[in-house]
Amino acid sequence: MRAAIEAHDAGADVALISKIHPTRSHSGAAEGGINAALGNASEDDPEQHAYDTVKGSDYLGDQDAIQILCDEAPGDVYQLENWGAVFSRTEDGRIAQRPFGAAGAPRTAYAADITGHVLVQVLYEQVCKRDVKTYEEFFAWRLVVDDDRCQGVICWDLMGGGLKTIGAKTVILATGGAGRLYVGTTNAYACTGDGMAMALRVGVALEDMEMMQFHPTTLSPTGVLITEGCRGEGAYLLNSEGERFLKRYAPNAMELASRDVISRAEQTEIDEGRGVDGNVLLDLRHLGADKINERLHGTRELSMVFAGVDPIREPIPVRPGAHYHMGGVDTDVWGRTSLEGLYAAGECACVSVHGANRLGGNALMETITYGKRAGGHAADWALSHTTVAVPPSVEADAERDLRALLDRADGERPWRIRDELAQTMHENFGVFRREDQMTRQGEIVGGLRERYERVVVEDKGDVFNNDLTQALELGFLLELADCMVVCGLARKESRGAHSRPHDYPDRDDESYLRHTLVTWADDAPKLEWKPVTVTKWQPQERTY
Amino acid sequence: MQVALKIWRYDPEGGDRALREYEVDAPEWVTLLDVLDLIKDRQDGTLAYRKSCRMMICGSCGMRMDGAAVLACKTRMYDIAEAGHVPVISAMGNLPIVKDLVVDMAPFWQKFRAMKPWLEPGYVEPPDGKEHRISQERMNVIHKESLCINCGCCVSECNSMESDPEFLGPQALAKGMRFVGDPRDGRKVERLEDYNSEHGIWDCTRCYFCTERCPKGVDPRDAIAKLGAESVKEGITRDMGAKHAKWFVTSAKTTGWLRETELVPKTQGVVSSIKQMKFAMSLAKHGKVPPPVPPHVADKVDEARALHEIVSAQDRRGFLGHVQGERAIARIERAVEEDPEHATASRDAADVTPGRRLTRRTAD
Repeated sequence: MRAAIEAHDAGADVALISKIHPTRSHSGAAEGGINAALGNASEDDPEQHAYDTVKGSDYLGDQDAIQILCDEAPGDVYQLENWGAVFSRTEDGRIAQRPFGAAGAPRTAYAADITGHVLVQVLYEQVCKRDVKTYEEFFAWRLVVDDDRCQGVICWDLMGGGLKTIGAKTVILATGGAGRLYVGTTNAYACTGDGMAMALRVGVALEDMEMMQFHPTTLSPTGVLITEGCRGEGAYLLNSEGERFLKRYAPNAMELASRDVISRAEQTEIDEGRGVDGNVLLDLRHLGADKINERLHGTRELSMVFAGVDPIREPIPVRPGAHYHMGGVDTDVWGRTSLEGLYAAGECACVSVHGANRLGGNALMETITYGKRAGGHAADWALSHTTVAVPPSVEADAERDLRALLDRADGERPWRIRDELAQTMHENFGVFRREDQMTRQGEIVGGLRERYERVVVEDKGDVFNNDLTQALELGFLLELADCMVVCGLARKESRGAHSRPHDYPDRDDESYLRHTLVTWADDAPKLEWKPVTVTKWQPQERTY
Repeated sequence: MQVALKIWRYDPEGGDRALREYEVDAPEWVTLLDVLDLIKDRQDGTLAYRKSCRMMICGSCGMRMDGAAVLACKTRMYDIAEAGHVPVISAMGNLPIVKDLVVDMAPFWQKFRAMKPWLEPGYVEPPDGKEHRISQERMNVIHKESLCINCGCCVSECNSMESDPEFLGPQALAKGMRFVGDPRDGRKVERLEDYNSEHGIWDCTRCYFCTERCPKGVDPRDAIAKLGAESVKEGITRDMGAKHAKWFVTSAKTTGWLRETELVPKTQGVVSSIKQMKFAMSLAKHGKVPPPVPPHVADKVDEARALHEIVSAQDRRGFLGHVQGERAIARIERAVEEDPEHATASRDAADVTPGRRLTRRTAD
């Protein structure tokens, strides 16, 4: 939506396409906040923000892209406030900011624990104000490529049925992550990596796909997100012995260390028998009822509804869960991909500002700043270039492929493949990774892809056929899993979210201070490498 | 555990509508949404319903359980299944059904857009090109309204909309209050004028179903009340509803009672009242209304007057007169003090359904 607003304001004729209504996007589930060096809670500046982000990324982030993000962030946050975002306030009425993991200053601007929700609302309000045409419940399935340019999108119309082609001089992918690859995830059912897979299928490279962030505090058993804001407000993480175990892993930052560090610490505690039924405990009790109700009300509600635990009186059982894909469609700092006319922004893109590990609060900021940049650039390109042509053969091919799937009468239902994929990814490609497990996962994904060829869609109708779209989503996920495994095996080191304690426990800047790039060739991932952009900050050992 | 549901299916292509029963084996922690997923995966792939976040924030999965709107992802099945109850699941009300549990949200979003739901900067410009400077206390006025996730549960249950489909309805009006109450917005009076038109705020019947069924504690009826209070404060009293409300205050202030005989002319005007004279006489004859003369004055009318003076002295007119936040926190403290084991009070409304303590999931 941020990209659409920018493109509209630049004078372009814009349409939004979304498989769910725009306000239902999973950005709305982001709870804790958005990082910008406003300096409202203490001294801060974009330079410090950039350094924290580079260090947090385990030096895999591109420093030019990070600098842009941190420099433009304050202005972009003020703009959101001016548009009407309902931020929490400081004593003197400015935007409130709270401390977040691995940040040198309280930098995370927030709206209680519903920051993402508030920002999604304000963006949709601005979309309404501009009357941007919106194709709601249009499931984007294929990109139209002709004349070496991306010239549109082919969608399944959920409400009306049938394939609909929307021609466009430029297309911006903003389709979010692929957390549904994992059984334990904070992500919505909608987060199935559609944009990444669509780009992959038209020859565009995906970058750093092995980098899946595990959030340290997801609610047991459902994986629902418990915000980092809890720890920002002072919550403790305890093991079964009631010990604040982070003193052994991150003695200075404690609960506010980087997410990868805390997730590994938790997993180690659980693996070594100091967990509580496969979890650790997040203790908010000492914060008191007032603070919990005022600043973490949503968290309390989630905890009560989904775990039957009231955090005012009991600690919350939490464990690491798949949360955010640092990897994604390879783009430059204007959101451009290698395919002319195709852009990507947000979680589905890899600029790369998060490198091997994203800092909490940087994701919302990236969607805004890079959404804006991609929207502006795509509009300029569209306004200065010629026409759009969608060859009829492209539509006919899509129609035929879809018919083949819909007409198949016998075969396996997709859910078993989906569940096996999510379960095995969690076991074999989770917080800690082993060579043999990753190799096995590659074989498992191969087997699942074969089975997927014979999958059957039960609903043959035209109206709200999400049985069909869910089957198509599974196809996206399977290809992405394949890419992730190939990248994970190739990166023979431990960096950020990619942790191999058994064979390559250390970071290896000599060989692997570079991005993995994967393209799709002959129905399999093909691996290449790309250098990391280093400007000011040379890699150093990362401790918290 | 075994969980059974009856689902109202609707097939748009054949036009068939049928109540079907399903039963699945499910873990104890499942929600209604999880059960629907199990049915769709394993029993009937044609079952249609919306879902996305499964954590009560995206607003996709509004539907009815036993005739009342719920978010499927917020509704835990353990107690229901244990009690042997087989709930009936159906699509939300007041919106056209598209297929099974999916409704057409277009009318909902049309009303949302009719509120001109975007900030029109006006009263206060940020002093230095940065953010507006506003106290948290002042922003709390629109806190509940900004929690709204547009799920449609309130609209589904709205009695007024059932008789007048054009009524703007609880969600749109709550969104309207979100802007009317925002000190940064410069269109407050124009908005109130808009929302005071036909099918607007005064058409609410105050049944409170919206507030009761809202899964997020938005409290749309409170938002509508605040819009009404602010309209009167701004002198926008052309609607009978506003006149009616004003007369209640005048009447209570002067005699401590509601003087029904004067209520009709004050609300509907003299002409309309004369037309109803025959009916009024009949009521009087049967002792249903007190005679207008002498005026019926309450014993302790001084107390009513004093109350009015206090509220006036505090300038609690308009939406600022509606207490926010602090009341809720006080309530929670009280509840915790009184019964720390079983206190379940939440911020303001009973918007939390505490789940039963879970048995932990085993390695499944």
